[in-house]
Amino acid sequence: MIILANGKTNEVAQRTDANGALWVRLDELRGATGWQMKPEGACLGELCVPLPPNRREDWIADADDWVWFCYSEFADMIGQKHVRDGDVWSLGSVPEVRRAGLESAIAPDFEVIERNGDTLRLSDLRGHKVVLFTWSSW
Amino acid sequence: MAEDSGGPKAVDKWFDRASPTYRCVVDPTHQISSLFGWVNVPSAAWIDEDGRIVRSAEGVYPAETTYRFGIGKVRLGDKAFARATRDWIERGADSEHVWSREGLAERLKPVDDDTLLAEATFKLALHFEATGDSARARRHFATAERLAPDNWNYLRQGWTHTGTAYAYLKVLRRTNRLRKTSDKRYYDPMGLPDENYRRFVEPEWLWTPAVRHLKQLFRR
Repeated sequence: MIILANGKTNEVAQRTDANGALWVRLDELRGATGWQMKPEGACLGELCVPLPPNRREDWIADADDWVWFCYSEFADMIGQKHVRDGDVWSLGSVPEVRRAGLESAIAPDFEVIERNGDTLRLSDLRGHKVVLFTWSSW
Repeated sequence: MAEDSGGPKAVDKWFDRASPTYRCVVDPTHQISSLFGWVNVPSAAWIDEDGRIVRSAEGVYPAETTYRFGIGKVRLGDKAFARATRDWIERGADSEHVWSREGLAERLKPVDDDTLLAEATFKLALHFEATGDSARARRHFATAERLAPDNWNYLRQGWTHTGTAYAYLKVLRRTNRLRKTSDKRYYDPMGLPDENYRRFVEPEWLWTPAVRHLKQLFRR
C-alpha cells in the first residue's frame, strides 16, 4: 500500500479492512504520515491531538503481530482530507497546521533535495533573509 | 523551486540556461505551492531572519518578459517586484513593502474543504502520472480541476499531462472566457504601487485574422 503525504511517497504494510479504512502500523506511522503516537495522543511536531477515550480501542488494534492505527478515522476527526484509489492513499494538509501557520505567519517548514543532491530544509536558513520563488516549465 | 511533475528532465535546461547563483530545487509534487497556498507560477515569498513570512505574491516576474506561447508571443511582468525585493533585502522590516500583521492576516486566508480535497486529489493524479497510469491520472486531474477551478497550477499541470499544445489552447480559452465573463485575473495584483502588469496571458497573435477566421469556421 502507498501513502502520499508531505510531498513523499511511502510504501507501507497493508491491513485489510471490511469498511475500507486506512490502517497504518504504529512503527510506520511517523514515516508515512508525519504523526507519531505519544502518551498525550497523536503528535505532529508541536501539535498533539488527544485520541477520544471512547474511540481509543477502535482506532488502535493488534493484528498480525503488529499494532495498527486507524488513520483515516483520525484524519476525519481532525479534518484532514484523504483520497484513495486502489492501494494508493493521498493525504491533504492538516487544517490545524495551516491555521497555526496563518496565525503566526511562520513559514511552513519543508525539506527538499537540491539539484546538487544536498538536502535543503527551510528552517536551516533561519538567520538569513529568504526569497522563495516558484516557476515551472509548463 | 520548479513546480513541475516532469522532474529534472523537464526543467534542467531552464536551470542550466539561467546559470543560477542561488539554490535550485525541483518540486515534482508541488509541495511548496501547497504549503504556501500558491495557485500559480511564478509565485514568491519573502521570509525574514526569524522565519516569518513578510510578503507573498504571485505573478512575480523579475522584469518585463516576452516569450513564445504556442504560435503567439506573450509579454508579462515589469520590474516592480524586483525593485521591491531589493528594497526589502536592504532595509528589512523598515521596507514599506513589508506587510503588517493585519495585512498578513487579511491575505493569508484559510482554505475551504474543497481546496483541501483538491490538494489530496491532485497529489494522487501526480502519483499516477509518475507511475505511467495515464487513465487514472487524467481522472484525478479532472476532479482536482472541478474542486479548485481557480488553481492554475492544478489546471496547467493537469492539461500538460495531455500535451503541451493542448495545455496552451486550454489556457487561452480559459483566460479569454475569464476576461469576457468575470473580473477574475490570471494573476492577483501584487499590491505594489508601481506595478504595471498584464494580468492575463495576452498573446500577440502573429496571424490574428487567420485565427479569427478559423474560430468562425469551427463555430459553424
